[in-house]
Order: sequence, then C-alpha cells, then structure tokens
Amino acid sequence: MIPAADSRAADDKIISIHDLKFIYPGGVQALSGVSLDIRRGEYVAIVGGNGSGKTTLAKNIMGLLRPTSGTVLVNGTAVAGQRIASIAHIVGYAFQNPDHQLFCSTVWEEVRFGPQNLGYPADDMDARVEHALRSMDLMSVKARPPFSLTLSERRRVSIASVIAMDPEVLIFDEPTTGLDMRESEALMASIARLNSEGKTVILITHDMKLVAKHAKRVVVMSEGKVILDSDPAGVFSDLEVLLASKLMPPPVVRLAYRLSTRGVPRDVLSPEELVLRIMMARGDFR
Amino acid sequence: MSTQAPGRPANDASADEAAPANFVSPSVVALYAVLTALTTAVTMTLAVPFPPTRGFFNLGDSMVFFSALAFGWRAGAICGGVGSAAADVLLGYGYFAPITLISKGTEGFVAGAIGKLRGGRPWARVLGVAAGGACMVTGYFVGETLYYGVGPALAEVPVNIGQAVFGGTIGLAISYVILVVLKEFPRIPSRL
Amino acid sequence: MTGFVDLYTEGDTVLHRMDPRVKIFAVLMLTLLILMISSLVHLLILLAFIALLVALGRAPFSKVSLALRFVLRVMIMIVILWPIFDPSGTPVLATLGPVRITEPGVMRGITNAVRICCLATVWYVLMFTTPQRDLVRALVKLGVRFDFGLTLSIALRFLPTFSATVESIKDAQRARGMEFDKGSPLRRSRNYISVLIPTIISALRTADTLSLALQSRAYGARRHRTYLRELKMRASDGVALAVVVAAFVMPAVAKFFLKVPV
Repeated sequence: MIPAADSRAADDKIISIHDLKFIYPGGVQALSGVSLDIRRGEYVAIVGGNGSGKTTLAKNIMGLLRPTSGTVLVNGTAVAGQRIASIAHIVGYAFQNPDHQLFCSTVWEEVRFGPQNLGYPADDMDARVEHALRSMDLMSVKARPPFSLTLSERRRVSIASVIAMDPEVLIFDEPTTGLDMRESEALMASIARLNSEGKTVILITHDMKLVAKHAKRVVVMSEGKVILDSDPAGVFSDLEVLLASKLMPPPVVRLAYRLSTRGVPRDVLSPEELVLRIMMARGDFR
Repeated sequence: MSTQAPGRPANDASADEAAPANFVSPSVVALYAVLTALTTAVTMTLAVPFPPTRGFFNLGDSMVFFSALAFGWRAGAICGGVGSAAADVLLGYGYFAPITLISKGTEGFVAGAIGKLRGGRPWARVLGVAAGGACMVTGYFVGETLYYGVGPALAEVPVNIGQAVFGGTIGLAISYVILVVLKEFPRIPSRL
Repeated sequence: MTGFVDLYTEGDTVLHRMDPRVKIFAVLMLTLLILMISSLVHLLILLAFIALLVALGRAPFSKVSLALRFVLRVMIMIVILWPIFDPSGTPVLATLGPVRITEPGVMRGITNAVRICCLATVWYVLMFTTPQRDLVRALVKLGVRFDFGLTLSIALRFLPTFSATVESIKDAQRARGMEFDKGSPLRRSRNYISVLIPTIISALRTADTLSLALQSRAYGARRHRTYLRELKMRASDGVALAVVVAAFVMPAVAKFFLKVPV
C-alpha cells in the first residue's frame, strides 16, 4: 500500500547489516556473522582489540571488501552490486593513515579531489571545499603542500577531503592515533559538531576514554562478532566482557567499579560525574 | 693499544680486519633498497588494463624514470635495472631477467644522465625520459628477437612504446612532486 | 586483482635441502644447455626432465599454472608469428599475398616455443624451492659485495610491505570516489599518480628511519664479519653438481667437437 519511497523514508536505518561473514583470500575469517543496524544521525563507536574485525567491517560498509555471505544495505540498497564511487556519495571513510590519501601539491587541491571524482558541479565547488576546510580549521594552510603539515593537520586534511564529498555517514578509523591530548580533543570536538549537524558518525577505536566521552552507542567486537551493543555506561558496567575482548575501560570507570562496593554506582563515565556520585554516596547533599 | 678489547671476535687477527668496512653509506643502502623494492612492487602489482590487445601495461617504468629523475643516473640504472629484473625473477620468468636488467638499467641510466643536465630543467627531463624510453624499447626488441624471433618482438614494440609513454608521463609528474617533498627528509641524500 | 605472490613454497625435499649456490649454478648450466640444443626432440626430453625436477620440488599446481600463464601467451605468439617472419625452406604450406608459410618455418617456431618453455620452467626449480634470503646469501657467498647483498635483501624484505601499501592506498583513493580505469588517458595518469605518490612518500619515510636503524646496528663497523648461518656443501650437492656439469659438457662436446647435431 505504501509507496516504496515512503517506506524508505519511514525506515531511518542508514546502514543495515545482516549476518555478514567475510573471509580474506588467504583464508582468515575476519567476520563471522555480524548483524548491525545504524540509524540516521547516530554516533556509534565500534571498539575491539586488534584483529577483532572492526576495520574489515568498515571496509565492507564502504564496499572496498565484498561480503563472503550476508548483506550490507546502505540507504536501503545492497552494497554488493554497487560501484565504490556510488557508495562514496553516501559513506565517507577517513583512513587510519592520512598519508595513504594525500598526494596533491596543495591542501585545496587535495580536498577538491573527492568531489571532482564524484562529478559534483563546478559552480559550488569552491564553496564546498571552503566549508570542509573551515570545519576542520584548515583555511590558514590551504595553499601549503599537505606533506609539509604536522600529523594532526594531515589527518584533518584527510577528514576535510571526505567531508567535502558531503556523505551522510562518516567513518573514522582510529582518528586520534599519534595525536597529543589537545590535538585529539580538538579533533573529537569537530567530529561531535559534524554529528550535531546531522551526520551519522561511526568511530573505530580502541581508545576507551574517547568512547566514554563522545559515543552515544558502543558496539564491542571480538573475533569477528558483535559481543555487546549498548550505551557507554551499559558497556563499561560489563567489565568481564570488556577484558575478554582485550579492552580496558578508562581509569575513571575502573575506579567507580572498585568503589561500587562502597555504594558508588558503576555507570560513571567522567571524573566530574564520579566526584558528584561520591559526594552523593557520602551524603554531602543531605 | 694492542690489547684486545673484550667482546671482540676471537678470529679477529689483523688490524686490517678490525678496520671499518668501506661500504657505501647507510643512507644510500636504505635509499637504494627502498627504490629497488618500490620498482619491483609497482612492476608486480600495478597493472593498467590496455584495451587494444586486452593485455596489461605495468607501471614499473614510472618508478625507473622517477628514480632517475629524482636521484640521478646511478639510482636510475641500479634501482631501475635490478628492481625490474627482480620482478622478472620473482614472477617466474628469470630467463628474461638479463634482458630486463640491461634494458631497464639503460633506461634509468640514460634518463638520469640526460634528465639531470642543467640542474634538471624541464626540457632535459623530457628529453631524458624520451631517450631512456627509446633505449628500453630497443633493448627489449633486441632481446625478444633473440628469444622469440622477429615476429613476436615486433608485436611487442607498440606495447613497450605505450608503456614508456605512460610510465614516462607519470614518472615525470611524480619527480616534480617528490623533489619538493624530499626537503622533509634530511637523512635521504638528494644528490648522489 | 593482481596481488603479490611469493613463488617459494615451504617443503623438505631434496631440492629444498640443496645448497642454493649449487641450484643457481645448475640453473645457469641448464640455461646454457637449453640455448645450445636445437633439436625439438632433445628439447622435449629436457622439458620432461625439468618437469620431473619441478615435481620433485613439490611445487603446488596452483602456483605453477599461475606462472605458466605468461609463458603460454608467449609460446602461442611465437608459434603463430615465427613462421610468418621465417619463410625459408620448402615445402611451402601456404601463401597469403607476400606472406609465405613453410614447413621448416613452422617447425622452427614450435622448437623455439618449446625452448622458451624450458627456459622459463628451469627457473621454477630454483624459485619454488629456495627462500629469497637464501638466494641473496648465496650471491654474497659467490662474491657479491656484502653491502650490495644487504641492499638487495632489505629490498626483498620490504617488497610485501610495499605491495600491501599499494593495495591500501588504492582502497583509500577508491573511497574518495576515484575509479582507476575510467576517463581520458590524462585522467587515468592522474589516478595512478594518486596512488604512486603516497606510496613513494611512505617508502621514503621508511628509508629515512632505515638509515638510522642501520647505523645504530653498527653497519660497516668492521671489514670482517661473521655469519649466523654458513652455507655448507654436502655430498649430495657434489653429486648434483657433477650431474649438471656432465649434462652440459657431453652435448657440448658432441656439438662442437664431434659435429653431431643436438
């Protein structure tokens, strides 16, 4: 009864993965039956130890790898029959190593490369590139060669070059590797802003502090399977599962866990919250 | 001074043997190893579909030209020749390696020698690539004639010319970009 | 997808245990022998012998057929094109305008195709049974300067790394909507440049740190150096050497001194 277009609009799942299995040509099974739905505008962290299948999963969403079995739907359409270039209209992927993307002689040209490939009209190209550079705070280096920038700047250039293609979904693969605390906080703030502007964000990481601070939903992977899918507080309260999947919750969570015998609740995510909870437990507010 | 320092090898008899080896410098070893590996890797993995014959170009020549134009004739000849010949050996046609060694080695040598003239002016580079490419095409023609006869050798000439043109264009473009980037690597010798 | 293949296959056969120097020498001798022989029958016998050696080395069929694909293409080309350019002799089989196909021409084409097959497969004996590091070690022991050998072995060590880097960079650029084999030749060159430049830069970063690593490990500190693993010739290596030399010398004597066609 309902027209197809309407049913798609009603269905707010931007990514829908069903029983995805992936075996590398060498015979290594990287994914063994992953099912996952991601809704429009979500901020999802995919966490797990090395070799748990996070990046393989992301590459399957991007179409860089094709499922051995199972399906991946992006915006309601199966990835299997599509060219990567057409998936790139919807999904943007910032690779872990920014140096694997950069090759142009100026930052401006670098950011323009993606939209040009996708055939976006030339008349609003400059505005598009400028918007992407501004959102990553890069206007001051737009005429410099990307290679001469710092790692933090290079990573922002690689992210800006993805943003310029204006995809609905942004995948960030370990975006804070090698950055110092201030740089990574600035970067995470930019990512949070993109999310508040309506972009769906998928963050691949094993930095639990980032997860505690930014993600609204956490998917824990281990040995090619999703073993936990919940909000950060829910995930961190399951210490055994986290340790089993080679992950260590942030210190504040572990401290709260220790203090739980003394009446402090376990679902604490930030130092401020912990202070508040301890004060409450001590009865400071009575 | 004549007493042996502890930990010296027992068979360390003469002073001559204890002297430092007159090896080429570590930065040259590192650079040549990396350029050679790059040439081999690109030759083996980056193939461009080539519609007319449904065959493949490989982009190995672009790395030979790049090595020559960025680091001079020595790098061009050694890394280009050895890197390309190694690809032949590893892919299982070692009998062809001597011909590749000579053809691509000459290609790199000539491109580097001419391309670095007058400090590597654009005309010198283009001339170097053209002359180097011509040497490669000729070398392969002679080699293939010896092995396969005139017919197959003639059939390969257009493919090799196409490969030289494509590789030359890309090698030229890359050499300009990388020479700018090289300033970021203080330990890589830019002039050999 | 053209990925990186290492032909060497683990194993514990006679050929795997043989001194790599002997194997290199044997391949060179057999190559000379192949180039010397001009009789199709003798070449076929030699090919059978080489096939026996490849089988002895337990080379996996999948890798052999992969390596043979290129050789087959060349062989077909030779068989078709050789007679067209070599019209000497009689009887004439066919005439097409100025082109004359003769029976000796066809025979010479086939002979040369088989010779190429021999030349290619004789290398498999070496490549399928010898790890790359042993090849380099043998070269150094045969008199190649140590620093050259080291350069070569570092290059081989980084080969799979760089091949993987190329693949990863290809993916990164595809995710930005780049399609390799679309558009004008100029656009295509730019597409390949977008892969090659990041590859080269990451390789140069490697070279930069590598030169430090070499210095910090006392590269070139002493002229005399010792080796952890020395190569040793065994009795079986001597036998193999004798067989190969005999296999070359006997036909050579027959051809050049006794004037017997081989």
